[in-house]
Order: sequence, then structure tokens, then C-alpha cells
Amino acid sequence: MYLYNEFDQTLVNERVEQYRDQTTRYLNGELTEEQFRPLRLMNGLYIQTHAPMLRVNIPYGLLSSKQLRMLAHISHKYDKDYGHFTTRQNMQFNWPELERVPDILADLASVQMHSIQSSGNCIRNTTSDPLAGVCADEIEDPRPYCEIIRQWSTLHPEFSYLPRKFKIAVSGSPKDRAATQVHDIGLHVKKDESGQVGFEVLVGGGLGRTPVIGQTIAPFIAEEDLLSYLEAILRTYNRFGRRDNKYKARIKILVRETGLDTFKEQVEQEWASIKDGQLKLTKDNIQRVKNYFTPLNYETANDEALEQHLANSGAFRQWFQQNTKAHKQPGYRVAFISLKSPNCPPGDITNVQMEHVANLADQFSFGQIRTTHDQNLALTDVKSSDLYALWQQLTAQELATANIGTITDMICCPGLDFCSLANASSIDIAQGITDRFSDSAIDTGNISLKMSGCMNGCGHHSIGEIGILGVDKKGEQWYQLTLGGSDSHQSKLGERLGKAIAKDDVVDAIDDIVHVYKANRTDNEDFASTLQRIGLQPFKDKVYDAH
Amino acid sequence: MTLIKNNDIVQDHWTVLDENQALQADHNIIDLDYWNVNKDALIASKAPLGLLVQGDTNPDQFIDDIQHFELIAINFPTFVDGRGYSLVKTLREKHHYTQEIRAIGEVLPDQALYLTRVGFDALEFSTKEAGLLALEKLNEFSVFYQAATN
Repeated sequence: MYLYNEFDQTLVNERVEQYRDQTTRYLNGELTEEQFRPLRLMNGLYIQTHAPMLRVNIPYGLLSSKQLRMLAHISHKYDKDYGHFTTRQNMQFNWPELERVPDILADLASVQMHSIQSSGNCIRNTTSDPLAGVCADEIEDPRPYCEIIRQWSTLHPEFSYLPRKFKIAVSGSPKDRAATQVHDIGLHVKKDESGQVGFEVLVGGGLGRTPVIGQTIAPFIAEEDLLSYLEAILRTYNRFGRRDNKYKARIKILVRETGLDTFKEQVEQEWASIKDGQLKLTKDNIQRVKNYFTPLNYETANDEALEQHLANSGAFRQWFQQNTKAHKQPGYRVAFISLKSPNCPPGDITNVQMEHVANLADQFSFGQIRTTHDQNLALTDVKSSDLYALWQQLTAQELATANIGTITDMICCPGLDFCSLANASSIDIAQGITDRFSDSAIDTGNISLKMSGCMNGCGHHSIGEIGILGVDKKGEQWYQLTLGGSDSHQSKLGERLGKAIAKDDVVDAIDDIVHVYKANRTDNEDFASTLQRIGLQPFKDKVYDAH
Repeated sequence: MTLIKNNDIVQDHWTVLDENQALQADHNIIDLDYWNVNKDALIASKAPLGLLVQGDTNPDQFIDDIQHFELIAINFPTFVDGRGYSLVKTLREKHHYTQEIRAIGEVLPDQALYLTRVGFDALEFSTKEAGLLALEKLNEFSVFYQAATN
């Protein structure tokens, strides 16, 4: 993984001191609330319902065991012994004190981490495929490019007061595991006919109040032109993006109102004047970063021991089938760590669990951990002969729930319990769904369920096969259901099932939907295919006749 | 008003002309409307002249006349409006304007460094305290990932 040199370290250290001074001046009354707001946001600090919330960047979802131990330490020292992983691969702390945030940032800087631009109207943490570098279908490892983007976007003087937040995701495989189509910019690694590496560039995707699937603005931009092309898009957005209404300020609205063709013309005109300037990446620039992401030192291994354990233990077999995935290296597997156990809000992890995962990463997976956009973790380089031992230790920490990809592996925002924007709670609904489906989840098959506590859509409900959106109706919490969304390579927005459902009926309604699917599916048919074949009506009939 | 330039507080020789004000002998900063109406007379007077624009002003509206101005002032209606950052960058890098470009309006000391990095060489603050603080803030970072615009 990328390691800071003296330059990177100096920059984050100076940032900590800058923010310490800003916090002191705010507390002394020298900065007004309004003036302090964008400064604290650009360091990841929100003011929430109960307390501030601090969001820490995990660049493209890659953590070392040392960094994870530091997150455990921070959650213990400054928070309530747990942290929450977000859909953008970051970690949030829900209870830090504003006065102590500079100390937290200093602790983060000591392990090459920061929270720079993890919120605010600026370029956020670049996210990527959690299987980058280990999946067999990869065209090129996206992480070096993510790191190049991280450096270019960090403390970018021109793009720190954008109309609205700006999110970039990069995928190196044809199968999109980074939700790139619902990002302000999505980048897909491609190779042209001569084998030259570049990117298909998507623009204007996003969730929130107006969910939009991103459109291709450029089918192929050579890798050397990556930063100049990004800069051209950002400059065009910074100049022309709407600033009169924050709900219409994202680039997706600009692209829609301008029209993709005109927007593209504006970008390309800008690009023409900067393309061959100082942002052009040389082969050396790229190789220097690529050197940090060379293949790990894999051993020759075989699956003999694994086969034996699989034959002997049904519980292990179930976990293996549900929570591990193929690796490009023979004798290795990717092991997902589910953060959707029955006793825990989705994405939450205790400080003790973090310590254990860090130790397991050291023991079994080259000391590295990935965070996924589904709010789980992954140890991506585990020898298959070690999987049984890993599973046993994960089981002891309640981290081996065999539910990856199933209905109980849901994406969920913090909802009304923590968030000042939310209209409805999500954690208790998640708990209800987990209770109802824990025993039958595997048998039901993979269904992506995504839930947001308000239309801002942090829980990605619009692209869930089953989407749940919390709404407020005269002070009461109601829930709008959608079916058929997708965040895979062909992202799709879900279709509304019907009128909103009362809180007490939500879990039953989900149960009805699952029943209709199970009653109608042919042998191995997945949820999306059944839905496409039989349409929305049978689901509607079942849900609304019953309630 | 306090003006900082070249890492120091400096005397300001310029006057931003408002609607009801008469033209000074020289060093007037006029807006685009005034320029368009009085262009010929202003050129004939040969007095040093500055142009006031907004962050969202399209450079095409004045770029052909830019040789007449010794100074361009870009106004920030609020400190969170970042359009002026892209405008100054465009004037410096695309149009190679090398004379003074000044940030005026709602500009905070905490923004001084970014403003100078993108190409402003003069920053106007409402108080001396703010100007002094801005000078301190210019030295907060010794390293940058992005090249400076000068």
C-alpha cells in the first residue's frame, strides 16, 4: 500500500496544526459559527443530533493493521468504544468532543491518516473496488490511480469552495464493485487497441434527492491525461454549477440542465488549454506510485487442508460459501468480515473487534484490511489453508455471520438516531429485518437491501434490489419501498412499489416481498430476474392486500 | 480596508469607483458596465485603470480589452463562493495576465493561502487584524501537492 514520505507527512502534520488553531479561534469567539463551519467540515467534522460526528478518510478503502489499531484506540479514548463504516469506505465516530478533535487528527496523522475533505463542498475521498489487485477480472489495479487522484485533490486550492460536494470512484474491473455510476465522476479502467491504459469517464451520477445514473462523457482518456481531464471537469463545474439552491448544486443537475453534449463541449474546450500542461502524468510519475502496489509475496499453496475442513464442518462450509470469494492467486481466497451480525447496527464495529481484525490481518492477510461500500471488511489475501483458523477466530468475535450478499447484509444509514437530516429511524428497522431473516437469509438467496432514513439517500436505497426510504408524514415515521434497483455494472434505479408503509408494517412488507420472490422463482433465479419476469404487480398485490 | 501583497501590508493606491462617485485622477477600479460605456474616453485619458469583475463574469466579456487594465479585482459575494478561484486561474494560465489580480469582498484570512496559490497576488481585508492574521496564515503550509499559479 502507499506509504507517506516526508512530504506527505509534513502536509498532514501542518494540516493538524492549522485545524488546531482554527478550533482555538472558534472556541475563543474569533471565528463565527458561519466562518468555522466550512473549515470544520473540510476536516470531517459535522454537528449532529447529539454530538459532533467525525468522518475519517480511508483512502480507496485500504487500511493497514496499524491504522486499524489506531482507529480502535481513537474510538476508545475519544468516543464510545465503537466506530461506524460508511458506504464510501470511511469510518465515522459519533461522539467525539469538538475540543478534542485536533488531538484525534494528530493521532491519525501519526499513522498516515487524516480526515481532510471527508465532508464539505470539496473533492471527497476517492473510493474504489475492495477487491482491487486481487480479483481475476481486473484490467489494471485502480489503486495507484486512486492515490494519484488523492494527492491531486488534497488541499486543492481551486476546488475547495465548490457548489457542492464532489465524489469520485474508480473501478479497475468490468464488474463494477465501486458504484461508479452513482458518483459525480466514475472512472473505469480501459485499455485501447494498442494496450495503452486509460479511463472511460462517467459524469453526473449520484443518489440523494434526485438519483441519476452517470453518463459517459469520454469513452477513453489516456492515463497520462487523467488529472488534466478531471481538472477540466471540476473547473467547468466550479464555474457553472448552481449556487442558488443547494439541492440543485450537484454536478448531475448541471449536466442535466446544460445537456451532456454542451457540457462535454465546455469540458473539452477547457481541457484543450491545459491538456499538455503541468498536470500531464509521465510514465515515471505513474510507475513511482505503482511501485507501492506490486503483488504481495504469495506462497505456493493448495486447497487440500481447506477441502478437509469443508467436508467436516457445516457451519464453516456455509461461511466459506457465503463470505469468501475467488482470488487471482491459486491457493488464496478473499474473506469478507460481515459487520451485519444480529446484535449490531449495520457497519458498526467495537474497538475490541477492531483490535482483533488488525491481529487477524497480521496473522493471515499481509497486515492489510479493506473496507467495502457495503459497510463490511475484507481480508483479501488469505491462504485457503488458513481459512478455517480465521473463521474460528472471527466466530469468537461475532464477525463470522455468514450473510454477505444476503438480505441481512443490508446497507443502512445511521438514521434518526444520530443524523440531524433524517426523517425516520433506520437502525431499528434493520434490527427487525435481521431478526426476521437471520435463519432464512442464505436459503432466500442474495438480495441487496438498502435503507436510508431520509431522501438524501446515504443508505443508497434507490439502487437496492429492495430499497427502503424513511419519510416524515405529519410527525410520524413512514417508509417508501422500491424494488429492482441495482448498483452493479448496469446500475438502475428502483421502482416505487406503492404508497408509504407505516413503521410497524415494514418488516412484514419485506417478508411479503421475499415470499412472492420465493414462490415465483425458478430453480436458481435471482431476485432481479424474477422481478423482471413477473413484474411489480404480484409484489404490490401481496404487500398492499395484506395491509 | 487593509491590503496585503508580497507578504506584507501595503498602501493601497487604488479606488473602487461606486455608482455615485466621480472618477479620480487615476488608479480607478471601474466595473464592466462603466468600461463599456466610457471605453473611448478612458483609453484616451491614459490614466492607470483597474477593472472590477465578479467571480462568475465570463472572461470573454473583457478579455479582448485586458491590455488596458493594470489591475483586475475579483469580487467575492460570500466567502463560500469559489468561482473567483477558477476565474483567476483562467486569467493567469490561459490568458497569461501578469499584472495585479486582487481578491475583494468577503474574503477570510483562512483563505489567504489558497487564494494566493491560485493566482491572486493582492488580498483586501476589512480590518488590519484580519490582514495581519492572513499574513500568518500564508505560512501555514510548507508543502503542496499542486503547483502554484504565478
